Amino acid sequence: MSYMFKQLSREWRFMLRQKYLLVLLGCAILISGFSVQSGLNEVAQQQQTIERLKAADVADRTDTQNKQDEIGMLAYYTFHLTYSAPSDLAFAALGERDIYPWKHRIKMLAIEGQIYESDTQNAELTQAGKIDFLFVISALSPLIVILLFHDLFANERSSGRHDLLVTTAKSPWALWGARGAIRFISLFLCLMLPFYVGAWVSGTSLVAVGLVSLCCFMYLAFWAILSVYWGKNANSGPKVASGLIGIWVLFAFITPILGDLAINKFVHSPKGGDIMLTQREAVNDAWDLPKEATMDAFTATYPEWKDHVAMQSMFEWKWYYAFQQVGDQIAAPISQEYRAASQKKYELAGYASLLSPPLLLQRVLTRLAETDAVAAHKYEQQVRAFHKTLRLYYYPFLFAQGEFDKGNLANLPSFDKFINKQHGVRDTDSAQATNK
Amino acid sequence: MSEHSSSTSRFAKMMIVAKDEWRYWLRSKLAISVLAIGLILTLSSVVVTAINTMELSHTRHALQEDAEQTFADQPDRHPHRMVHYGHYAFRTPSPLSVLDPGVDAYTGNSIFLEGHRQNSAMFADQKQGTALTQLGSLTPAFIVQTLAPLLLILIGYSSVSREREAQTLTYLLSQGTSGFTLIAGKGLALMSVIGLILVPVAISALFSLHEGESITAIVGFVLGYALYLTVWALLVLLCSSALSKNSESFTALALTWIFFCVVMPRVASSTAITTVPAAGKLETDFAVAAEMRKLGDGHNANDPAFAQIKASLLEKYNVDSIDQLPVNYRGVIAMTSEAKLTQVLNEFAEKRMQTELAQTNVSRDFGWLSPMVAIRSLSMLTAGTSIETHHKFLREAEALRFDFVQGLNKAHVEQLSYQDDMNRNKDTDSGQKARVNAQNWQVLDDFSFAVDTPSLRLQRGAPAFLQLLAWIAALIIVIRLVGKRLV
Repeated sequence: MSYMFKQLSREWRFMLRQKYLLVLLGCAILISGFSVQSGLNEVAQQQQTIERLKAADVADRTDTQNKQDEIGMLAYYTFHLTYSAPSDLAFAALGERDIYPWKHRIKMLAIEGQIYESDTQNAELTQAGKIDFLFVISALSPLIVILLFHDLFANERSSGRHDLLVTTAKSPWALWGARGAIRFISLFLCLMLPFYVGAWVSGTSLVAVGLVSLCCFMYLAFWAILSVYWGKNANSGPKVASGLIGIWVLFAFITPILGDLAINKFVHSPKGGDIMLTQREAVNDAWDLPKEATMDAFTATYPEWKDHVAMQSMFEWKWYYAFQQVGDQIAAPISQEYRAASQKKYELAGYASLLSPPLLLQRVLTRLAETDAVAAHKYEQQVRAFHKTLRLYYYPFLFAQGEFDKGNLANLPSFDKFINKQHGVRDTDSAQATNK
Repeated sequence: MSEHSSSTSRFAKMMIVAKDEWRYWLRSKLAISVLAIGLILTLSSVVVTAINTMELSHTRHALQEDAEQTFADQPDRHPHRMVHYGHYAFRTPSPLSVLDPGVDAYTGNSIFLEGHRQNSAMFADQKQGTALTQLGSLTPAFIVQTLAPLLLILIGYSSVSREREAQTLTYLLSQGTSGFTLIAGKGLALMSVIGLILVPVAISALFSLHEGESITAIVGFVLGYALYLTVWALLVLLCSSALSKNSESFTALALTWIFFCVVMPRVASSTAITTVPAAGKLETDFAVAAEMRKLGDGHNANDPAFAQIKASLLEKYNVDSIDQLPVNYRGVIAMTSEAKLTQVLNEFAEKRMQTELAQTNVSRDFGWLSPMVAIRSLSMLTAGTSIETHHKFLREAEALRFDFVQGLNKAHVEQLSYQDDMNRNKDTDSGQKARVNAQNWQVLDDFSFAVDTPSLRLQRGAPAFLQLLAWIAALIIVIRLVGKRLV
């Protein structure tokens, strides 16, 4: 034990005397720190935005409810805020929350006309990408590893010390193993320390921190082993590094780009605009169609209102909201196809990322942080489900005639309650599962 | 005379050095493969992006015409129905986006235009993407901005330091070649590589002449890239001649590249977002809604907010009630409230765009710290694929929206009587009566989006040009100093 410690401490002192290594490690901790800091900022901004929106939403709704009395008008003018809050790991992997929307305001009108609204940030900045911890680990750290490890042997060879070192060392492990281990541990700590601080600040669960650490460890070890292996017989450091940077370019850029080209050729997705167009035509045509046509299509889905479709006037709100729903029904197949295509693409991208370690790491960590396309899709499903709850709340008042008592508004669904209930259901499910 | 001959011989020496460098590259496996990969990547990116962009341009033109046709083909209707039926505007890509698509895939490229609302652009291509191209995409802009510098580093890091390590440097210098001539000769060789990389880019740029791009913009675009790669050639020469060992030169250059091309662009955008926070559209919508409640609901002609309009109309036409007005009162209300609403919406939209611009400018200032950030802005600005172009599209789409909505409201005021309008829901016949002729659907102007003039685009790119020139000037000064002390 003390023997190993002696080897390590010798290599540690040796490293402290190499300015270039210290500069590299310093850069690593600085960049990692900056990325965690800006990730925390971004997440804090998102949370503050949600809080502000929630307050504005309540004020806006109260105002509308004071102003409107008729049920149809209330449904027409009352917006509901929906949102997807960043997870406690989101600061480390901001993921695609700058591409997919995470907040919507929806109302009783056709959902297909509302769900594609996107409230995204500055496109030119999105295009450049942001620097988050995940980027530092997946894209940047391999380069630092390459610079640290490629000349482990070549450096000693070119300074003519190699053979002397090898013959005087007790075992190759005592020399190269200790040297490599010291470099690796130092780099790992420099990169991870800011992350641990960030995780502590945002109260990330230990399991998540452990998983992230494990992934990062394996990823860095992969690059370190590759770098050492690639340079084991070489005399010229730059040649080794050129080759390794070439591999990095291949993994980070070339295979993903080829994968992207192939997937886009392979998966055909309907154009988003066509969903909107279909929905718009359906809704607008309804004005000129016989009322029965709309009502029949509506009661096919909601037969419970079959006996309440007769109309007294040329315009009634129940008919208006029925044709909104029918518009959604008509657009549903193409909308589903659209979503299926993007799921298919995500799935295939999973296979493509097996050929690209940086992308694989990004995929795993954004999944953990729930900031990927899957999370965005899940949020979209929540919004759709909430929209349905909203409709089911209004239908009895719209179809069953009678005066609307505004006291009923106390039971108006809210997105907050809605997701809490969903979580509650899931919790009891898992509790039951563990009981079994 | 002697000066003249010395300058000729100096140039001849530079040529010899440059030729010799090429001979070295052609003999080195590494250099050859790096050159070949670089050229293949550039070529394929040019071809792939050109095909994609042409498809996009074609589809969007077709969709635009289609949307206009569908609108005009609608039957006789109540004019307000057409206000909600709405219309679409599509952003056709700029000709130079074959080389730098810029923000195209990140902003939606179509907007649904309807009354009382400013919708955001929908269906950005990235949303339906694979998320595989987060680190880089196969566009000439990415390849030349990010990978070409790496190529220059890999073939050039040892250009001077190699001579020093092989001890040929002292020999060369003692033969009467000045340090600066040697560096310049190596530089000449690197510049010829830059020329090679830029040939496919320039050819593809010239093709966009055909699509209506001006030659000034093309020259500005290609010149920008030439300056950018020159900065890298100078950096390579500087490290190679100032540092004594190949490995040191390589490490320094690799670090420089990581810092300039990988770290800085993202640091720039992260900094921009945190220093200039922008309220999202949703937040603005709430502010607009609060403002709007003061203005009244245009669907409800009885809203007390319209009392003043009513009074002035009655006075103007000298009648006692709205039934007696020669114009449709509901139409007048719709028209006035649309105008007021639009004013408020535009105020907020303009504020939003100014904030985005301020953010973007923060990130563009990082061009003084990284030539990559400078060329990135310059490229998008001259190609007309920057955020400014998207803003222009938003403004033009809004103008189109306002014109057709008010055109329909005008028909509502003039061609539909107030009585018919009020009775529209009575029965089928009165519903038929409350319609105007489909002739009125011709209110749409042909919409065809075009980028800003080349002079405006180049003017916007001027700071980025300055940044690149400053980099070149500073590097040449330092290299001259190093060249004098070369041993």
